Amino acid sequence: MALKHVNAVIVGAGAGGGVAAQQLAAGGLSVVLLERGKWYTASDCRKDDLRNQRTSVLGNNSGPDEERNPRVVVDLKGQERVVLPSQGAYSNNAACVGGGTFTYGAQAWRYQEKDFRMATTYGVPEGSTLRDWPISYAELEPYYERAEYEIGVSGDVSADPFHGPRRQPLPMPPLPVGREHGILKPAAQRLGLHPFDIPMLRNSVPYGGRPPCMQCRWCVGFACEVNAKCGTQNTAIPAALATGNCELRTGCMAREVLTDARGRATGVAYYDADDRLREQTADIVIVSSAAVESARLLLNSKSKMHPAGLGNRYDWVGRNLQGHTYTGAWGLFDFDTYDDIGPGASIAVCDYNHGNPGLIGGAMLANEFIRLPYQFVSAVPGGVPQWGRAHKDFMRQWYRRSIAIQGPTQEIPIAESRVEVDAKVKDFWGLPVARLSGGKHPKTMETSVRMAEKAEAWLKAAGAIRTWPKLAGKGTSGGQHQAGTCRMGDDPRVSVVDKYCRVHDHDNLYVIDGSVHVTNGGFNPVLTIMAIAYYAAERIVKSRKGRGV
Amino acid sequence: MTRKLLRGALPAAAALIVLALPAGSLYYEYNAGASCARCHEIRTHYDAWHASSHRDVTCGACHGEITTLDAGFHWGNLRRLVQHVRQGFADPVRLSTRDIPRLMERCRSCHRQEFAQWQSGAHSATYRRLFLDAQHNRQRLLMDDCLRCHGMHFEGGIRDLVAPLDARGPWRLLRPELADQPAIPCLSCHQVHREGELLPRAARQIEESAAKSAAKSAAKSAAKQELSRPSVGLFDRREQKHFSVELLPLPSMRDGTRALKISPDTRQALCYQCHAPEAGGLVGSGDDRTPVGVHEGLSCLGCHMKHGQQTRASCATCHPRLSNCGLDVEKMDTTFVSTASGHNIHFVKCADCHPKGIPRKREAGAKRGSPFTAETLRRGGNAEKTSSTEGAGFIPVRQPH
Amino acid sequence: MLDDGRYGLALGHVKIHSLRRRRFLRIAGTATACGALVSCGRQNTPWRFLTAAEGRTLAAICEQIVPTDQTPGAAWAGVVNFIDRQLMGPYRRQRDAYRTGLMEIDRASVSKFGKDFASLDAPQQTALLESLTGGAQRFFATAIAHTMQGYYGDPRHGGNRDAVSWRMLGVPVIPIRGRNRYEFPRQGA
Repeated sequence: MALKHVNAVIVGAGAGGGVAAQQLAAGGLSVVLLERGKWYTASDCRKDDLRNQRTSVLGNNSGPDEERNPRVVVDLKGQERVVLPSQGAYSNNAACVGGGTFTYGAQAWRYQEKDFRMATTYGVPEGSTLRDWPISYAELEPYYERAEYEIGVSGDVSADPFHGPRRQPLPMPPLPVGREHGILKPAAQRLGLHPFDIPMLRNSVPYGGRPPCMQCRWCVGFACEVNAKCGTQNTAIPAALATGNCELRTGCMAREVLTDARGRATGVAYYDADDRLREQTADIVIVSSAAVESARLLLNSKSKMHPAGLGNRYDWVGRNLQGHTYTGAWGLFDFDTYDDIGPGASIAVCDYNHGNPGLIGGAMLANEFIRLPYQFVSAVPGGVPQWGRAHKDFMRQWYRRSIAIQGPTQEIPIAESRVEVDAKVKDFWGLPVARLSGGKHPKTMETSVRMAEKAEAWLKAAGAIRTWPKLAGKGTSGGQHQAGTCRMGDDPRVSVVDKYCRVHDHDNLYVIDGSVHVTNGGFNPVLTIMAIAYYAAERIVKSRKGRGV
Repeated sequence: MTRKLLRGALPAAAALIVLALPAGSLYYEYNAGASCARCHEIRTHYDAWHASSHRDVTCGACHGEITTLDAGFHWGNLRRLVQHVRQGFADPVRLSTRDIPRLMERCRSCHRQEFAQWQSGAHSATYRRLFLDAQHNRQRLLMDDCLRCHGMHFEGGIRDLVAPLDARGPWRLLRPELADQPAIPCLSCHQVHREGELLPRAARQIEESAAKSAAKSAAKSAAKQELSRPSVGLFDRREQKHFSVELLPLPSMRDGTRALKISPDTRQALCYQCHAPEAGGLVGSGDDRTPVGVHEGLSCLGCHMKHGQQTRASCATCHPRLSNCGLDVEKMDTTFVSTASGHNIHFVKCADCHPKGIPRKREAGAKRGSPFTAETLRRGGNAEKTSSTEGAGFIPVRQPH
Repeated sequence: MLDDGRYGLALGHVKIHSLRRRRFLRIAGTATACGALVSCGRQNTPWRFLTAAEGRTLAAICEQIVPTDQTPGAAWAGVVNFIDRQLMGPYRRQRDAYRTGLMEIDRASVSKFGKDFASLDAPQQTALLESLTGGAQRFFATAIAHTMQGYYGDPRHGGNRDAVSWRMLGVPVIPIRGRNRYEFPRQGA
């Protein structure tokens, strides 16, 4: 039986796809939202220190299925190996309704004005593909605001002098702060920095019919049992379904985007929850599967007309894969810093995002989410053994007396850091899997080391009696912050989508997720992904209206 | 030909299925449950049970007898057995939602008085009452966290229990058979598989040790047993297991910016798990009812009965006479008299009735009339010397060490 | 590469609910029920994957990784139980590593001290673990990670008995967290 033709089919119910579905459905379009994962609840994935999005030593709590979805990773030495979703190198985000927003820490950052003009601000370093965005902060500002109000953000950025102009304050006040905030704030001020309360997609007061955060210690990586974290699974997607115009199909693995002889997208072929191959035809196809899987889907959508995959005429699909190079520092104190009051991350400075002499970009620095006991195990500084009595003593003595500060160093994109489809390894459905390779630009590494120094200095100022840096490797990054693989640009020869997220050669095929980010800011990217989804979806609805839907 | 074959095969298959179903149950239960211990998954539970006060209650009494016609019971056992043999990983054995009524009956058959008290108290609320309360559901969306304290044994999330999950209703239980089942059963606060003495023997021991007051250590252990039975522990929905009350934390409370000294009675740790303050420990926040004001320092169990939570007779334990003001405490305007009162008995302060300041007590009267003397405290039954720094109203409770 | 027969077997039980398999399993169940009685008795090990001897060696290794001091160590905390249980599930790809790794450590112990690893005194055990090379060293690295997971992870997985490590660190075993208060109307009111 053929499936009913719809106006739009969206592949992926995460931050981008969820918002796009809601906007299109509210705009009167009929929408089918395909999601390869399940619609989990907090009860399906009970807080487990060893099985969550961040620590997946016993598996993931939010998909994808461990056995069905391998990837191939090529390391810096050129060695390739098959990895599973629970392994770090896999760069897993999530596969579930809500995507990464189901378990994220929910930091809700706007990129700064300079983040959209990196090439103009710093020039293009050798070996990089650094470019400006085709849109500016000012163009995106109204959509940032919509994301903040419609999805829900708490915090207070008024003390941050570095953020771009904004018309409205955040809709919710910050959460009550814990002990670390009290220790770090005066220290930052003594250093001449500008500390403030992190904006978060998290209720601090009842909002959107959901209660405020109860500040437990299981936050980042976990599903929220009180529904206080605002993800698309409890905001945009239910709203989309409530319009009656949107159908959500879970357990549906997209096989390829279908095109006709003229190159227009006609729909999506996918395997449904019973692994049957189905075809959903639509006027518009939107790919929102996050940077790795979106690129993989386009690359796997090969045809005579598009032998290298869709949107890939100039070989840009899958390139510029970037996440963030997270670096920072640990500090030990001679007094208790631990108070078991979540989420932990509460205070940030944006003094180092730009304007660092000799560096390109930088990072927002913030205290880390509450570290669970097992996460602290590998935090030991040099000189302390990894096992035995000394290690146990270290744990006992310092667990409650430590603070971590870290930040997402903005990465300088390189073409060699990329997603391809593997020639040999196939997934459960017989589709070629994603193959990740490449590394980082030297300037990224340089900046990340300097950010770690800044974090150490902050900890020292706060009275840490011992500090040590937490550095990152040179391998390609992706993970939850994965971005860049279908970059936005005006010139089709050096980009994949136009400034409205439309794939250059196909006027009804869109990519709406982190893939379109030209650069990824020195911030957690989710609010930008949501803002772009509002922005692109609004344009789609308007253009359809002109043609009388 | 095919028909003939079918005629023979169908009954054979049917017989096979009927026989196969109880195979798992047979395996587990032959030899009065001792074979349970053979299984690696069950061994620790079996050992704990075997050393517990409940060791004369057989496995089947709570987990279901082999003679049951409940196919689900046998299917579960069979599935576990098949997984076990195939070296797959089986879920740890635990009681399921549908085992609860049977278990409650079993508890009731011995612990009649406790059961009756529980039944007459607020903790015997049913699923219907807790989850279908229209007034509540209009004000607050039901969420998975509700199940942390209510229906903690429910297998599934709130999505599997109530529909619709919105503020409009009308709401219905997706498992209608649960409607009149208690959502906070005995197992919420008691673990059966817990090392402990058989009850009658324990009673004898206490008598003996009281007689031989010289045997101090024995008296101590008896007293500890008396203070909190080994079975007392919280069923943690997250871990899907019980945590003994001595492992549970007591909160650091504050009244505004003032650190509040709470009773050191460790049994309260169980109460605090559900009647909990919000993060930060502000007294009266969230579901907290830590006494502050005139009743500051009292343990929950100073006033509330263990199983029924009733407080009717509690005032007289500490207030043998009239209040400081010469009023009958049981008739003062507090929530003790009426829930409509603006003065919550947990939080009432002198200043609530004396907004202009607390009147100076008459010297002589104060000395004679104050209920808070060492003597009355002793008569209150929680006897131990109270140090002067702990102050009036601070009822010391003997702590297990 | 990802899947050998053994994993396929483990994968199979995920589908146990599917109708197609149900009938087969019932039959298989009957056939194996009796066999199980025999096989369990014969194995004579308290573990699911490990043999009794392997369990003893592993307990000694775990105890070296997180030793008993004023707080109980890995052995008391049930880390062997944790690892054994995970070897039936998330760790199943490391089964061979355990089988050969434990054997190699015992072999090294016998050749160096003339006794199996668990029978050595603690300083000898430490010395032996510090001197490991090659495959045995790689196995020990795995064992360290798994022991830490068992000792500092959630009690539900079979280790961290009575949340012993969390209490040692000063982490509330179950945090005290209130929600928004709601007063139920009195019944009948």
